[in-house]
Amino acid sequence: MVGDAQQLSEVVVIGYGTQTRRDATGSIGSVKGSAIANMPIQSFESGLAGRTAGVQITVPNGVLNNPPVFRIRGTNSISLSSQPLIVVDGVPAFTGDYSSTSAPANPLASINPNDIESMDVAKDAAATAIYGSRAANGVVFITTKRGKAGAVKVNYDGWVGFSNAYRLPLLLNAQEYINFKTQAVANNPTASAVKYTQINDANGNPIDTKWYDQVYRQGVSHNHNVNISGGSEKTNYYFSVGYSNQQGILKKNDFQRINTLFNMDSKLGKLFTVGGKISYSNEKNLSSSSSGSLYGEAFNTGGLGRLAIVLPPIIAPYNNDGSYNLNGAAIGSSNISGISSLSYYNPVVQLENNRSNSESNHIQSNVYAQFKPADWITLRSTYGIDYLLINNDIFWSPKGGDGYSYNGYGSAISGTYKTWVWTNTIQFDKTFAGSHNFSLLAGQEQQRRTSNAFGINRQGLSDDAYNQIQAGWVTNNATGMTYGENYLLSGFGRLTYNYKEKYFLSGNVRQDEYSALGEKKGVFWGASAGWEIAQEGFWKAAKLDNVFSSFKIRGSYGKVGNIGGIGDYTPYSTYASGLYGGAATLYFSNVGNPNLKWETSLKTDVGFNFGLFNDRITGEVAYYKNDIDNLILYVGQSPSTGLPTNPPQNVGTMYNKGLELSLNARIINAKNFQWNSNFNITFNKNEVTSLAPGLNSIQTWIGGGTSEIVNQTQPGYSLGQLYVVRTNGIDPATGKRIFVNSQGQNVYYQYYVPTSTDPAQKQYAYSTTPDGKTQYISPTGGTSITQAADGVMYANVLPKQYGGWDNTFKYKNFDLSVLLTYQLGFYVYYGTNAGLHDQRWWNNAKDVLTDAWQKEGDTGKKYARPVYGDNVSNGSSMPLDMNVFKGDFLRLRSLSLGYTLPSSLLSKARISNLRVYVSGQNLGILTKYPGPDPEVSANGASSNNSTSSQGVDRNTIGNARTITVGLRAGF
Amino acid sequence: MRFIKDFMKKKIIYSAALCLISWGFSACNRDLLSPIPQTSVSDASAFSTVSRVQTQLLSLYGSANATNIGGLKDGNLYGGRYVVYGDIRGEDFINETGNLITGSDVWAENPTNSATAVATLWNAGYLTINKCNIFLDGMAAGGATVVGADLGKQYVAEAKLIRGLVYYSLLQYYARPYADGSGSKPGLPLRLSGIKGAGQSDLVRSSVADVYAQVLKDLNEAETDLPSKYTAASDNVTRAHKNTAIALKTRVYLSMQNYASVVTEANKMVSATAPFSSPANVANALQPDITAVFTTYTTPESIFSMPMTGTAGDNPGTQNQLAYYYSPTPANGGVGNGEFSLNPNGIIANTGWKSTDKRRSFIKQSGTTTVKNWLNKYKTASPYTDYVPVIRYAEVLLNLAEAKVRTSNTVDAQAVALLNAVRNRSDAATTFTAASFAAPTDLINAILTERRIEFLGEGLRNNDLMRLLQTIPAKGTAQAKAPTDNGYIWPISASELALNKLATDN
Repeated sequence: MVGDAQQLSEVVVIGYGTQTRRDATGSIGSVKGSAIANMPIQSFESGLAGRTAGVQITVPNGVLNNPPVFRIRGTNSISLSSQPLIVVDGVPAFTGDYSSTSAPANPLASINPNDIESMDVAKDAAATAIYGSRAANGVVFITTKRGKAGAVKVNYDGWVGFSNAYRLPLLLNAQEYINFKTQAVANNPTASAVKYTQINDANGNPIDTKWYDQVYRQGVSHNHNVNISGGSEKTNYYFSVGYSNQQGILKKNDFQRINTLFNMDSKLGKLFTVGGKISYSNEKNLSSSSSGSLYGEAFNTGGLGRLAIVLPPIIAPYNNDGSYNLNGAAIGSSNISGISSLSYYNPVVQLENNRSNSESNHIQSNVYAQFKPADWITLRSTYGIDYLLINNDIFWSPKGGDGYSYNGYGSAISGTYKTWVWTNTIQFDKTFAGSHNFSLLAGQEQQRRTSNAFGINRQGLSDDAYNQIQAGWVTNNATGMTYGENYLLSGFGRLTYNYKEKYFLSGNVRQDEYSALGEKKGVFWGASAGWEIAQEGFWKAAKLDNVFSSFKIRGSYGKVGNIGGIGDYTPYSTYASGLYGGAATLYFSNVGNPNLKWETSLKTDVGFNFGLFNDRITGEVAYYKNDIDNLILYVGQSPSTGLPTNPPQNVGTMYNKGLELSLNARIINAKNFQWNSNFNITFNKNEVTSLAPGLNSIQTWIGGGTSEIVNQTQPGYSLGQLYVVRTNGIDPATGKRIFVNSQGQNVYYQYYVPTSTDPAQKQYAYSTTPDGKTQYISPTGGTSITQAADGVMYANVLPKQYGGWDNTFKYKNFDLSVLLTYQLGFYVYYGTNAGLHDQRWWNNAKDVLTDAWQKEGDTGKKYARPVYGDNVSNGSSMPLDMNVFKGDFLRLRSLSLGYTLPSSLLSKARISNLRVYVSGQNLGILTKYPGPDPEVSANGASSNNSTSSQGVDRNTIGNARTITVGLRAGF
Repeated sequence: MRFIKDFMKKKIIYSAALCLISWGFSACNRDLLSPIPQTSVSDASAFSTVSRVQTQLLSLYGSANATNIGGLKDGNLYGGRYVVYGDIRGEDFINETGNLITGSDVWAENPTNSATAVATLWNAGYLTINKCNIFLDGMAAGGATVVGADLGKQYVAEAKLIRGLVYYSLLQYYARPYADGSGSKPGLPLRLSGIKGAGQSDLVRSSVADVYAQVLKDLNEAETDLPSKYTAASDNVTRAHKNTAIALKTRVYLSMQNYASVVTEANKMVSATAPFSSPANVANALQPDITAVFTTYTTPESIFSMPMTGTAGDNPGTQNQLAYYYSPTPANGGVGNGEFSLNPNGIIANTGWKSTDKRRSFIKQSGTTTVKNWLNKYKTASPYTDYVPVIRYAEVLLNLAEAKVRTSNTVDAQAVALLNAVRNRSDAATTFTAASFAAPTDLINAILTERRIEFLGEGLRNNDLMRLLQTIPAKGTAQAKAPTDNGYIWPISASELALNKLATDN
């Protein structure tokens, strides 16, 4: 949203101050709060996708209030956070997921998008260096609304929204399931006991359960905000209250927020200004149980998104007598013989009985005093707090599912996370000789954070009717114990200079000392220069100013750091306490590194801004490069070393480089019809250039679990490349899956190996011939295909291009805005697809009916001959290239049509303005990706692991499609 | 210059005051830059007090297991899974849930390099080994002085016993049996000094014989310095004493088919004639009632067991508990998850195992149309606080019995008496005599059968099949595995192969 002409005089927020866009030589993108104010989102970042160059937002799943993956100019760390520093009204905010339950809690959701005046995204060293050791991932400045001198203004905003899941995979119905699965059983003589039987429901109709209907719903949401603002010459104020009640597409997944904000500034005489802010927000994040979509949940046997696709249509959630269909913890399957338990849960039991909620109480407040002894000197002291209190509440009913083996399970964790920041600055602004403009800032800051959480976990309900943590239980244990503290002590300075608004120079420096490092002190800096050519005489003489109303060349360079997400005691090797038969024990639990220091990022930025035809078209082009060194890697040691954790080391190098282009045009500017268009694109190339000595690659388990590795980071490749085993289709003669081993050789696989007493007829699971008779022997002597031996660096998960195209049309009183976003040049591992073609009792995608091998001569089939139990040919037992797809997409992110009522109509009702609108989110997507949503990530936005935060879709719930109807009224 | 004059006037007072206040107050608290961990102990002082050395020693036995931090009692080791794998690889159980996380692949004898069982047992084993090594290093570097020479020696002996037992246990899954080439096949990376930082990933696998040699060295040295008994009776079950080392040696030598040494060791703790008991050290002996051993966990029959309590972190942890695997679901009258039922064609079908045999009381039936049998030896409900047996006196007796027959190649009279000791206490009606066995092999087979009955669910079946290089029999849908078949032993953990460049797969 690099703006139109007025925007050159527009104020942009930089660290500890503001600048006009005209004077800024750093790379800063700005988005107005109004752009996202009424989107059906929980936190503002979700609305930033596509709106400014260099910013990449990926919403990892359809569970409400999970933190989006937020990247500025690529992924800039491997082990630490790659999320930018977010500074809200001068106070660095908590980011990430602070919930300990299946309902995520993003603390940024406490900021009501309606209260945001502007969001400024600092990208290069010049703009970020003032935040020193925390600036490597960029800095986002959130400024909340303040009152303006004038009459009291009252605004009301409200909307109602309807959300639905879309693009869910088509599954087999009951009859298809029985036919297909029975065929698979027939192909496996060892499974002859397995039999699928159609049974009837209580009304005598054959059971054909649509599990999607049991798990998903149409979510109905509504949102209301009222704000009152105004002021005099001396004092201004802004007061708002908001209420939001949003329902997710997953049953029982809700987000409820009440919040209030009060901002005030008051001038005391000529010299002093005092003011401050107080905001309070209460958020309830509700869910019944695991969605299967959050970090670490992908393989949960109770993951609701997974249950909806895995469970057979021939079983029902209820028995015919109305009781739950259960078999121990698992769902009952009396009509599938030969299998004693499905081991997957009954989702309805979880939805109706369990809960996994978190509730935040969040106070963000600051107070400042400013003193101007002269018009060119400003002293300012600001003290801010950010107190986040979270209560987690988990209840698992003993009836079935997770709580079954515990005979009921409850957990309550209370967490208190506190920040205080005290900043003191002095600033001198002076113009000498009418044309030398100087501004000098010096400051000192200290920030302290403490975290303190504790909880109780209770097992064995004393009475069936109990469902509260305070009720009677048999076993009590401590849980969720967290204790931490850190301290950041800093001094910083900035000097900016320009000559006649033509030549610009700036320099920033910051020294940080951080408690959670071994080597605590670091100095960071950034410098920039700019040249506004359009102000030069020769430019005017050449009449270039007839075309170029402005043309500014700028460049910057500097060194900043990253400490985001580093544990408070990471440098220390420590021993923790445990128990042995009731006696205390002490064990080596954490491997530290006393020389640990920050990650460094050398940032280069060169570009130009221009305005054409009296700034009717404006644009910005920037080349950037982030050279990252001293990456902290938790370098995995072989398990036989017996180290309890991987030791952190400053090793590893990586870079992100690319080009950003944004164009903004008032294409049509007639009286009754206007069309404004903004297009931006970012080309990014990420490459890891070195890891640790002796460490050739980093493998990442999906969601930090132990079930599947699919990302591997290796020098010479981009972060977290998909690491899979190659396949070569299906053998037309036998229907066997053909794997490709590390040597490029075809290996034919059969799950069922026919036995024979004749040695000449002996067959093998893995064979180099289609008949299965020549045993496969790998170069290392193995007799099977494995990911470790045969996996290859297959495809990148980080997009090569991304951006957005935003259009606003106005015709008389109608307005229409259309935002398209896109990410291109990346791949997604659609792990769900493996499960959808698994030949255990699992339900399958409908395409097995046409795409699975059936008879000799079937060519070009995607899936192997169905053999009961086969979980290898489809990719369940190891990730395969056949489940990797291009993720490229173009998404109709938001479409909004509004009508502003003529003021002549309104004035009688004492309404100053009234706009009604209807809008849609995610209405359409253009992609070849076969899963619900190429933007999801089974790894969430996990703050401590950037290697794989995109590109893995494993049983993940896609984003919702939402239609909202709303109105905005001003009084 | 005018602005300077302005400044010089009264405003300077305000400015100076504000500067002083703000810079003065905020003159930072530099102590906060070096926080001392409040919930853990720093590496530098881990051996600094008697209490820290003692609690570290106890951590080698076990610690909070849910987070997989090692110790013998880790849920992946003797806290549960190691013992479970020992039985479900054999022919006496049927997998009920098909869950790879709870060992369906172990049961089917086809776990992959990255299988849960393969990876977690390897991890837990080496975590424990490294803890032992760090402890031994720390004791040598001054820890022994902190606790005094006598206690120091004892603690070192306890650590060695644990290290030896873990190496032995890992050999049973990840290496070819000793009998295959007299230990010449690849064994395990043999790590004997503590690792506390990066850079020591690569180590080649020592031969099976070399690892066994280290196991015996550790157990022999342990025997020398371990106390003959503890003051607290419960410690005689939960901590290592001389008889623990001796008993384990009978197991180790049996696995190496070194039967003469089994006899030598066992004779140290088995009296020559019935009633058999340990003449020295802890008075280990059979209990009159086998069922009492699994309800009163600290009888003299239990030479070594893993203690459990209801406190989180002091029990086996999720999906590791024996009762979770073997006990049927509450709907079927159990306390577990019914992961494995008893194979109707397995040992429970043995007609020589009388219905009146007390050990039949460990079998629980469910269902009317589809009858299933379940092992009910471990009965406590979640959080599953049954002690897990590591070694019982009954095993020493049967180890001795088998070794006697094999060394003498006769129907040895003491062997028959030892077999009877185990059989008669549960089934008084069946008494074997020398005449019951036509040939020594018949007696050996009777002893092996007795082991399957006596130790059902105690994790010995895999070791017995392996040491004799026997085919793992077919069961349910799982096919038989001959010693030459792929899958007869486990593959090496995928992460070990990836990160230890010198490691080789099986």
